[in-house]
Amino acid sequence: MNFSGSIMLVDDEAHIRKFISLLLRHLGIDRIIEASNGSLALELYKKEQPDLVMLDVNMPVMDGLETLRALKAINPDCVVIMLTSLANRQTIDQAAALGAANYIRKDAPPEEIGRALSETIESCFEGDEPLDSTQPSPP
Amino acid sequence: MRCRRTPADPEPEYFSGLLALAADNWLLNAIMAEPQTSPSIDLTGRRILAVDDDRINLRIIGGILRHEGYEIAEAASGEQALEVYAEFHPNLVLLDVMMPGIDGFATCRTLKTTYGDKCAPVIFVTAKSEADDVVMGFDAGGVDYLTKPFRPKEVVARIRTHLSNQQLVEQQKLLVDQLSKANAAKDRFLGMCAHDLRNPLSSIRGLAELMAEDALGALSGEQLEIVQTIHGASQSMLQLVNELLDVATIEAGHLKLQREPTRVVDIVEKAVHLSNIEAAKKGTRIELVRLATNPVVDVDRNKMRQVVDNLISNALKYSPRGSVITVLILSDDTTAGFAVRDTGPGIPESERHKLFKDYGRLSAVPTGDEKSTGLGLAICRKIVEAHDGTIGVENIPGRGCEFVVRLPLSR
Repeated sequence: MNFSGSIMLVDDEAHIRKFISLLLRHLGIDRIIEASNGSLALELYKKEQPDLVMLDVNMPVMDGLETLRALKAINPDCVVIMLTSLANRQTIDQAAALGAANYIRKDAPPEEIGRALSETIESCFEGDEPLDSTQPSPP
Repeated sequence: MRCRRTPADPEPEYFSGLLALAADNWLLNAIMAEPQTSPSIDLTGRRILAVDDDRINLRIIGGILRHEGYEIAEAASGEQALEVYAEFHPNLVLLDVMMPGIDGFATCRTLKTTYGDKCAPVIFVTAKSEADDVVMGFDAGGVDYLTKPFRPKEVVARIRTHLSNQQLVEQQKLLVDQLSKANAAKDRFLGMCAHDLRNPLSSIRGLAELMAEDALGALSGEQLEIVQTIHGASQSMLQLVNELLDVATIEAGHLKLQREPTRVVDIVEKAVHLSNIEAAKKGTRIELVRLATNPVVDVDRNKMRQVVDNLISNALKYSPRGSVITVLILSDDTTAGFAVRDTGPGIPESERHKLFKDYGRLSAVPTGDEKSTGLGLAICRKIVEAHDGTIGVENIPGRGCEFVVRLPLSR
């Protein structure tokens, strides 16, 4: 994938983080920061300033929507993709209203998750620096 | 030495979820196993408040009722009755109509306004059996009346009837309460299924798929075979869980449609294209027969796509290898839809009734190594019916059968 930026992966379930991070590495994305809850994610976000955040909706203590709100307060331009387990229209709409760039269903097969990710990256980083500068960019 | 979970152990949470799920199931069974009604109703110890300004009357009625095993409290006036009621919480009130101070009717009205639905049934006691009195008593909220002088058998029978009624109503309320708790437990059970089974299953499936694509380096032939087995098994479990959730969602009336005007061809075209990839593995081909016109229907695209996918995958499952499956677009004056025609064994007349029912697996055997949950067509029927459409099947003389879905045309 034509992306040299870093991605922060936030999910309370270790197996999901394992799966998505392996998928990201398989897609050639090596700079991955993992967080197991919302407040840890906010701390790490300030410190590491990742280019993109993949954020679980259902988490104990601080849920995805709350974390999204806090992330946007830190950086209104941060790119966030929500990770959902059941596509709940209401939650998706709420996340979109709060400024989420896209959503991905965790139960989708890897190639579908990869496709949604690359679509989001293309629409959010067109011509910006996180796109891999070693690759010739299309005209 | 005892085995202990170390703090570094990964993720005990989803086990706790499954435990809670087992506990809910136990609760549900316990509720269902508990006998709800006994055949003969035991009314011993039920409390009756007798109100009369005439002490002799109170003594007579008290004697009759104590003999029946009831617990009795007495009051000599309306005012006293209200006080005693508050402490005694009777199951039934016998209330004299003619009393000095506030009379029986007024007392009854006060009780009804104070205690509302929870107020014990009131039986009026009146010296005269005049029709006016009786009607006023019912207006005031009484359930019945007794006339003086008392006939003991009548008193006992009427009181028994009203106490039994009241007890049945209470049991009914309890039952409704227990059922709604059981229903909530079932909803939690399903929620847990969604979270505790779907997420780990999709991780297992995803990880196996990535490994099969050599994401962790090249695998040996045997390793690849095992990883593919894990992938296949988790895939069919995930499908089963998803279908069970679908059925439960639909049964609970939570199927929400987001209908948009959609061309029938747009619903089936992509499904045919993608299914052809799967079909190629069996040497089977899926052909789409288009219409000159482009009928439009109001559908939830995802849900209707699920129906098309299911019908095509069934056709693929039961058609011999190397055959041709035909998908047709249909239209007439009021409806539009699609048909999926296969070259399988057809539906035996004797099994037709099972076809669109939950778990209605038939005798036909898949021609590849495919699995079946027996829920697919039941889900299809429910989705189509939610769209005010119809789904049916006809055997094709010669060989195979044709599933037809018809939906109202968009206006």
